[in-house]
Formats: sequence, C-alpha cells, structure tokens
Amino acid sequence: MDGNQISMLKKIMEIEFTCIDLNLYLDTHPEDQKALQDYNYYSNQLSMLKQQYEQFYGPLMVFGHSQSQYPWKWVDDPWPWEIEY
Amino acid sequence: MYDYNPYVQDYAFPPLKLAQAYVPLQKYVSIYPPEEAIKKGTVFPELDMPYVGEKMR
Amino acid sequence: MWVYEKKLQYPAKVCKPDVKMAKYLIAQYGGPDGELAAALRYQTQRFVMPTGKAKAVLTDIATEELAHLEIIATLVFKLLKGVPVEILKREGLGEYYTEHDRGLFYADTTGMLWTAAYIQAKGDAIADLHEDMAAEEKARATYEHLINLTDDPSVKDTLRFLREREIVHFQRFGETLVQVREYMESKKFF
Repeated sequence: MDGNQISMLKKIMEIEFTCIDLNLYLDTHPEDQKALQDYNYYSNQLSMLKQQYEQFYGPLMVFGHSQSQYPWKWVDDPWPWEIEY
Repeated sequence: MYDYNPYVQDYAFPPLKLAQAYVPLQKYVSIYPPEEAIKKGTVFPELDMPYVGEKMR
Repeated sequence: MWVYEKKLQYPAKVCKPDVKMAKYLIAQYGGPDGELAAALRYQTQRFVMPTGKAKAVLTDIATEELAHLEIIATLVFKLLKGVPVEILKREGLGEYYTEHDRGLFYADTTGMLWTAAYIQAKGDAIADLHEDMAAEEKARATYEHLINLTDDPSVKDTLRFLREREIVHFQRFGETLVQVREYMESKKFF
C-alpha cells in the first residue's frame, strides 16, 4: 500500500473517530445544538474524504454503501489487518 | 485515582438518594482537533484520562 | 442491521513478533472482559431498554466494540506472523497452535472457550446498565495490565487508545443509567 493511500486512510480514521465520539455524546445529549452542528460538519468532511479515497483505491463499504469500478474491487487485498501502517 | 483534569466543571445533580449510583452528565465545551483526538482516544479534554503507569498506585 | 467498513478504527502496528504478548492479548479477544463479550452483551441487552437514547447508546457502543475486536485480532495476527512453530511451542502457545495454527479463536489465555456465561442480560435496564459500567471498568483495568506487560511502543499506543475508549463508554453508560432511572421514575406518576 503506498504512502498516499495510507495517509488518506489515516485522515479518514481521524475524521470518522471524531464523528463516533460526537455520536456517542449525542446519544445521551440529543438536544445539544453545538455538538450536533460539529457532528454534521465532520460527517460532511468524512463523506468527501471517503469519496476521494474510493475514487483511487476502491470501495470502503459494502452492501450498496459504496460503488466499485470493474472488476469488483471489494475483494481486493490488502484487508485491514494486513496493512502496514 | 485519575489525574484531575482542570477542564472539569461543577455538575448539577438532582437530590441524591440512597442505594443509587450517579454519574454526572457531561457538558459540551470544546473538542480536540481530529488529529489530536484520535491520538488521545477521545475528542473531549474532560474525558482525557491517560494511564500513568503501574508505579503510580 | 450491520454494515462493514473495510478499515480499522485505529491503526494497529507492532514493532516485532511477540508470542507471549499475543497470548495475553487473546484475553481481550475471547476472554471474560474482552471485546467480544462487550459487543455481544450490549447488542443483546439493547432490545428491552426503555428509552430511544438507551437503545442508541447500547447499539452504538456494541458496534464500536466490534471494531475493537478487529483491532485486537489485528494485533494478535501481526504478533504471530511468520513465527516458527518451535518458538510458538517454547513461548507457551503450543496448545493453541494445535487447535488453531496462528489463527484467531474465541478463547482466553488459558484456552478456556468463550461462553455466554461471561455476560448477562437481565432484562432489567438498571441492572444491565450497572453490568455495563462494571464491564467497561474491567476492560479498562485489563488494558492497563496489558500495557504493563509489553515494551513494544506501537502495541502500547494501540492499547492506550482502547483503554481510553472504555473510559468514555463508562461515562455514556453512567449518563444512560441516570436518564433511564429518571424516565422510569416519571412513569410511576401515571
């Protein structure tokens, strides 16, 4: 896996992680406007980053949540536990 | 005990009762930027409670 | 419904193979306070939680614990990669290797199989949330023990991430406990 792919993946990890922690906070604070604003902001960033990544490196998600070039790239190696970070 | 985080606020509680456990409801102040948050394991400075090692016990 | 994302939540790196550490880490894969126990516990408790917020917390934390299960698996996979059988034998993984080669299986460090006896779903939201808080503390303590057991800075780094997540989960379960109790108390006045 090349350096550019890994650095894009790491950026996605960072933004997604922010969304996850905000998501858990919102689950117990559904009426927190500021938190929701921040969640939506980062969620939007995450969509854009994932789209960019998938254009070059193939689908990150399955079952219709990502599209794929030909041939079906979901089956490609490496899988997450095989990547050298 | 965890190192006390200066970010901690005064948390309001309803009248406390016997035989019940309570955890204060977190208040939203501000969050770490994403590259820092993932390294710490949380976006929230007030929940950032690093492990300082066995010898501290 | 669950959908899988083909990436780890957090990078899992090891500096070099380490059979003893892999053995210890299997505790967080198939052991009593491990990520499988956490994920399955919250996943099954969520069905009879009384509020939408509580159902969300249990569902979302269960999902995150599956992601952590994957991280532990990755660490074990990398720690055992390319290790010759003689070394596996010498370092105490001979029995495990007999059954599983260098694969991942749901057992603890002594080879005891994962069991649903590690979890409980009382169907009582208050009892279940207390169990969840205890589970998060036990996982936090186990991660601290694992951090103490390794010198590998990459492994330590990943373990520190996982440990901090347990602290955040504890906070959410604690908040949920207070909120569920308030909800149930408010229902008594009808």
